[in-house]
Amino acid sequence: MKDLVQLELIRESLIAVVNEMRANIIHSSYAPIIYEGHDFSCALMSADGRQVAQGLADHPIHIFAVPYSTQQVVATFKDDINEGDLFLHNDPYTGGTHLNDVLMLQPIFFNGKLGMFAAMRCHWNDVGGMTPGSLSGRVNEIIQEGIRIEPTKICDRGVVNEPFMNLLFNNMRARSERLGDYNAMVGTGRKAEEHLQRLFKRFGDGLLGGVEELIARSERQLRAKIAERPDGDYYAEGYIESDGTNPDPLVVKLKLTVKGDEITADFTGTSAQTNGPTNCGPAMALNAVGTIVKSFLDPKTPINQGSFNPITVISEPGTFINARNDAPCGGMAECKFLIDSVVASAMGKVAPEMTVGDLKGGANHIIISGSDPRGSNYIHYEWPAGGTGASDGTDGSNAVRSYNEGDFNSIQSVEMVEAQFPLRIERCEIRESACGDGEFRGGFGLRRDVKILGEAGALSVLSEKNVIPPYGVEGGSNGAANSFTVIRDGEVTQPSPVPGKVSGFPLKTGDIVLEETAGGGGYGDPLKRDPELVRADVAEGYLSVGDAAQRYGVILTESGIDATATKEKRAELSQVRISVAVELSNEEMTDGPRRQFLVPKSLATALKVAEGDLIEVVTGRGSPLRAWARLGEGGDNLVVSASSMDILGVAPGDQVGVRAARPHPETYA
Amino acid sequence: MQEQKYIVGIDVGGTFTDLLCLNTETQELLSEKVPSIPGSQWKGVLGALEQLGIDYGEIRAFVHGTTIATNALLERKGAKTGLVTTDGFRDTLEIGRTRRLIGGLFDIKFVRPKPLVSRDLRIEVDERVSADGTVLESVDNVDFAPIVEKFRENGVEAIAVAFMNAYRNSENETKALEKIQALAGDVPVCASTTVVPEKGEFERFSTCVLNAYLTPVVTTYLETLAGELEGQGIAAPVSVMGSNGGVMTLDQAAKFAAGTFLSGPVGGAGGAVRICEMAGVDDCITFDMGGTSTDVALIHQLTPRISHANQIDAYPLQVPQLDIHTIGAGGGSIAWVQPDGTLEVGPQSAGAMPGPACYQRGGTEPTISDANLMLGRLPTDRTLAGGLQLSKELSEKAFIGLAEKLGEGAGSPVQLADGVLRIAVSKMAGAVREVSVHRGFDPRDFALLGFGGAGPMHVFLVAEELSIPQVIVPRFPGHLSALGQLLADLRHDFVVAWGGPLNEIDIADLRSKAGDMQAEATARLIDDGFAEDRHAHTFTVDMRYVGQSYTLSIPCDPQATSWDDLREAFHDRHEQTFGRADRHSEVEMVNIRLFSLGLIDKPALKFASPEAGADPVIERRQVWFGDDWTDCPIMDRTKMAAGESFQGPMIIEEAGGTSVVPPGWTINVHASGSLDCRRSYDD
Repeated sequence: MKDLVQLELIRESLIAVVNEMRANIIHSSYAPIIYEGHDFSCALMSADGRQVAQGLADHPIHIFAVPYSTQQVVATFKDDINEGDLFLHNDPYTGGTHLNDVLMLQPIFFNGKLGMFAAMRCHWNDVGGMTPGSLSGRVNEIIQEGIRIEPTKICDRGVVNEPFMNLLFNNMRARSERLGDYNAMVGTGRKAEEHLQRLFKRFGDGLLGGVEELIARSERQLRAKIAERPDGDYYAEGYIESDGTNPDPLVVKLKLTVKGDEITADFTGTSAQTNGPTNCGPAMALNAVGTIVKSFLDPKTPINQGSFNPITVISEPGTFINARNDAPCGGMAECKFLIDSVVASAMGKVAPEMTVGDLKGGANHIIISGSDPRGSNYIHYEWPAGGTGASDGTDGSNAVRSYNEGDFNSIQSVEMVEAQFPLRIERCEIRESACGDGEFRGGFGLRRDVKILGEAGALSVLSEKNVIPPYGVEGGSNGAANSFTVIRDGEVTQPSPVPGKVSGFPLKTGDIVLEETAGGGGYGDPLKRDPELVRADVAEGYLSVGDAAQRYGVILTESGIDATATKEKRAELSQVRISVAVELSNEEMTDGPRRQFLVPKSLATALKVAEGDLIEVVTGRGSPLRAWARLGEGGDNLVVSASSMDILGVAPGDQVGVRAARPHPETYA
Repeated sequence: MQEQKYIVGIDVGGTFTDLLCLNTETQELLSEKVPSIPGSQWKGVLGALEQLGIDYGEIRAFVHGTTIATNALLERKGAKTGLVTTDGFRDTLEIGRTRRLIGGLFDIKFVRPKPLVSRDLRIEVDERVSADGTVLESVDNVDFAPIVEKFRENGVEAIAVAFMNAYRNSENETKALEKIQALAGDVPVCASTTVVPEKGEFERFSTCVLNAYLTPVVTTYLETLAGELEGQGIAAPVSVMGSNGGVMTLDQAAKFAAGTFLSGPVGGAGGAVRICEMAGVDDCITFDMGGTSTDVALIHQLTPRISHANQIDAYPLQVPQLDIHTIGAGGGSIAWVQPDGTLEVGPQSAGAMPGPACYQRGGTEPTISDANLMLGRLPTDRTLAGGLQLSKELSEKAFIGLAEKLGEGAGSPVQLADGVLRIAVSKMAGAVREVSVHRGFDPRDFALLGFGGAGPMHVFLVAEELSIPQVIVPRFPGHLSALGQLLADLRHDFVVAWGGPLNEIDIADLRSKAGDMQAEATARLIDDGFAEDRHAHTFTVDMRYVGQSYTLSIPCDPQATSWDDLREAFHDRHEQTFGRADRHSEVEMVNIRLFSLGLIDKPALKFASPEAGADPVIERRQVWFGDDWTDCPIMDRTKMAAGESFQGPMIIEEAGGTSVVPPGWTINVHASGSLDCRRSYDD
C-alpha cells in the first residue's frame, strides 16, 4: 500500500513542479508570444532522456520532441554532464521542432548522481535568419531560418560560455528581449532544481524508482487499451497543399498496424523533403502518432514516456516528415498537424466511437510588419484558431484550441494590439455558416479584420487547408477552409498565387488583412441533426435560414420549425445525393503525389466538377478519401485503384457516396 | 430603546450554516450550526438565528458571508443577460484569446463552456474609440430604444455595456449606460469601466457580464433576507462580505455583485488575521477545511494577499479578490481507483447526504472522514455534536471494498486508510504551495492556521508535509469564518492605470495621482458613515521590468517613497519569486492601487480560560500515527488552561473541531485562547 500511495504522491509532485515551472516562465518572460501566447512548454526528463512529467497546458508539439533532444545531449556529452551545466538545443534534425523553439536542459543531480533533466522549450521571437521573426514561406534552406544549435553546453559547472552566448545573441534580432526570455528560462531551471531537491530529500531513491514504476504503468495501460482493439492494417493519407513555391502538394501516406498490444505507424511512400518550409525532423511523426493514439485510446491518464513505448514509427529519412540538412523546417507545425489529421483518420477506423471531424491544419502563422508613424519597425504575430471537429454526441467548439494542442492564446487582445502597433482590429467575430455540417456539426472558425494604419507594411502567412478543407466524418460535411486575403479599396485581393502561403505581400495604408479560419469537420448525416439544434443555431445567428433549409433540410418559419416541410425537404435532399458503384482500376492512378479517380463524364456533370478538381468518396464510415478527378468518357462507375479500395475498405461493385470537395461550403443567405 | 449589544456573523456554507454572535458587553461568543437549505439560503440563516435565542432587538450589526453568487454561476442560474458592445465585437466573450481556459488536452469530446450571454442577445452598436482615447465614432447617433425593446421582448433581466478601448476613454460607454438606464426601467445596467477600468477587453467584458448576470440574483437574495430580518424585528443593517475581504453595504453589493464570489471563504481569512494578531503571529497560511473543499490563503504581515486577475469556471474575473485557493478535498472526499490501478482521492464528495460511510446514512464509499475513523482519530463510542453516531464497521467495509478494487498490494484496511489520508494531505499541501511557493514565499516561514470543520484534524499532517514548524488552532475552529465576518472592516478598492519606466516619469505625478485617489476614497468612506479618524488607506503599485507583461505588486507610501526605494523593492521581490533579478534592467510602473478601509470597532475577544491544573484527559485510545498504533490521550480543550504546555501525540476535542496532534509536537495554550503548536525538523 505504501508504495501505491508514494507513487501517487510522486506523480502529483512532479506534475506540480512542471506547473510551477510554467508559472515562472509566464510571469518572468519578456516576449508576448511567451507571456501572452504561451508558446512554450516545460517537462521533466529522466537521466537517460525519457519523458517523466508534463502539465495539462503544455503543448504536445513541444514536449514529445524533448526526449529526442535530451537523448542527443546524453549521447553527445555522456559522462561529461555535471552539476551546474546547462544545455541548449534547437536543431530540428536531432529532435528539435523549428529553430525558434529553443530548448534549455538543466541536469539535476541527486547525491552527486545525474537524476533528471528540467526541460524548458520556449518560442524565441527571433533566432536570426533572413526575415524578422525567422519564419518565412519563401526560404529554401535552413540557414535562412536562423541559427541552428546542435546540443551545446552553454554553462559548464556554473560558468557560462559568454563568447558563445554573445555570438548567439549578436545574431538574433531584439537582443534585450531574447536575453530576457533566456533569463526567464535560467531562473525557471533554478526553481525546478530547488523543487526537485526537496522531492529527492523526501522520497530518496524512491523518487527515481517511482518514476520508473509510473512509466511502466502508463505503458501497461496503453498496451491494454491497444489490445482491446482488433488486429489489422488501417490506411489513411493526407496532403500538404504546397511547400510555398511548388504548385504540387506533398502527400503523407500511412499504414497503421494494430497487432496485439502494439501499434506500428508506417509512413513509407510519403513525399520527399522540399526546399520550402514545410518539412520537419524525425521527432514530429512519433509526436503526432503519440498524441492521437493517446487521445483516441487513453485520454484520461497523465502522459509520460510509457505512453510511447507501445508505438513504433517508420519514416524514411529524406522524406519531408523526416528531413535532413539543409531542408528548412519553419513549417514544422503544418507538417505535424497534417500527420495528426492522417493518424486521426486511421484511428477513426480503429476506434470508431472516437471518430472526430478534422481541424484547421497548420498553425495559421500571420505576420504583419511595417513601420509606425514614429518611424520604428514593428512585427505583429498571431496564429488564429479554427473550429474543432465534431464527434459522436458532441458538436465542435468555436475558435478555440483543439484536443491536440496545449492551452495557449493565439490572438492577442484587441486593446493590447492597438495600443502597441499602428493597427486597428475592425472586427473579431465568429465566421458564420462556416462549420462542417453533420448530425453533430463542427465548430465555427473566426473572422478577424486587421486594418493597417501605418505608412507601409508587409504580410506573411504560413498556413494549410486553404484549398483542401478539413474533412467531415461518418458522412458529415467538410468544414470551410482557411482563407487569408487583403481587402483593398473595398475589394478582396489574393495576396499570393498559392493560397495560404504569403511572403512579404506589400500592404498600404488602409488595407485590411482579412483572416478567416477553418471550421471543424462535421460528424454524421446533417439530415439527421435534431431540427431543434438547427433552429437554435439560426436563432443565435451562427447559420442562416437558408443554411438550415439547404444544408440541413430544416424549414424554419416565423413560428419555428415547420415539421412537415422539413420532412419533405430532407427527403428531397437525400434524393439528390450522388451514389455510384466503384470499379477497380488496373493501375494506381496518380498524378505525382495526387491520387486520382476516373470520373465518367455524366458523373462529372452531376458533381459539377472538371478535370483536376478535388472530389471525395464517402462511405458513411470514418473520413472520406480525397482524389483529383480524371475525366473519363462513358460508363457509370467511379473507377478507383486497389489502394483506394484498401483505404476505403470497399470492394468492387460497392455503392459509395461521391461529392466535390470544395474549399468553402455553399452558404445561403 | 434597547441596548444593541450583539454583532452577528453568519457564514452560509455548502453543508452547514454557521453563526457566531458576539455580545459586545461581556465579549461572550455564542455559536450555532444548522444545515444549510439549498435554494433558500436565507431560511437557513433565520433558522440559525432562531436557534440562538437572543433578542433580535438587541442586534447592532449583521454581517453575512454567502455562496449565492458562486452557486448561481456554477448552476447557470444567473439572470438572462443582454450585452451592448462595439460593432465587430459581439463574439469577444466567445472567442476570448482562443484558449480553452479549462482542461481539454487529449479530450476529443471537449466542449467549451458557452458564454453567459446568448449570441442573439449580444447587440452591436456603431461607436468606436481608438487606442489613444480619441472618439472615432460617437455614440450620440445610436438609437438604443429598439435594443432595449428587443431585450424586453426576450425577457432580459440584466444588461451589460462593454465598449472597445473604454479603459482609455469611457465617454461613449458612459453615455450608452445612461441612455440605456433611462430606457430600461428596473432592469439593472452596468458598464465595463465602472466594474473594472483596466486594459484587456476580454477580461473586462467578461467581468462586466458576470457582474450583470449575478446582480439580480444577489440583489433579490439580499433584499429578501433584509426583508425577512426586518419582519423579525431586526433593525440592524445587513452587510455582506466582499471578495476583497471587506464588508459591503447592501447598496454596494447590488452594484457590484461580481465582488461577492468569495463572500463565504474570505471570512476565514479575516478571522485568521485577528487570531494571528492576538497570538503574536505576523505571517500565516490559513487552512480552512470543510466537508467538500479546502480553502487556503496567505497572510503576510497580518495582511491577506490580493489577486487582481482571477477566473471562475472558464470566465475571467478581473476584480480584486483575496488570493484564496480552493481545492476539492474535504472530509467527505471519496477515495477511488483510477483506470491505471492507482489510488486517487476526490474531487467527488459524499457531501452531507449520504455523507461518509461511517455516518450510517447509506454512503458506501470510503471518505477522508472514514479514514480518520479507521485510524482511531474519531470517537465511535460517543455521539458527536449534532447527534451523529459513527460506525467503524461501515468505514471498514468501505475500505475493504476499495482494497478489492486495488487488488494486490492494497494492504490492510487500516494501511489503506492511512494511504488515502496521505494522498489527501499531499493535495492539501499542494494548495498551500500554490499560495506560497507560487507567489514567492517559503511556507516554512509561516504558521499554518487550521480551522473549519475538518481543519484541525489535518493541519498538523499538512504542516509536516511542508516542514512548517508552527501550527495555530483557534478557539471555535468551526466558526472562524463567521468570526471574521463580525470583525471585518468596510472596504473600497481603487485602481488608476498610470505609469511608465521609472527613469521617464516624475514622482510628483505619482504623489498627485495618489492624492486624488485618497481624496476620492475619503469622500466615499464619509458617505458610508465613517469619520476620518476611522479611515485607513494602503497603496501598492504594479511593477515589472520594461518589456515584461506580468507585474508584481509592491507596497508603497506614495508621499514618502523614492524611485530607488521602489526599484530595490521590486528587484528583491523578483528574485525571490522567479529565481533571478535583472538588476541592470529598468523597472516600470503600470498601475497605482489603493484600498481604503472604514474601520469598525474591534471587540476585544476574550476566551475564558479554565483554572490551571485541571485534568483535560477524557480517555485514552489507540490511534494510528506513522506506521503503527500509539496509546494516545484524548483531551478536552475546555480544560486546557492558558500557559499550559502539552506533548503530542494527542487528540483534542471541542465543539466544532477535533485536533489530531502527531508525536513530536509541543502544544502551548496561548493567553489569547489559541493553541500555539511547535515542532522542529531535522534539517
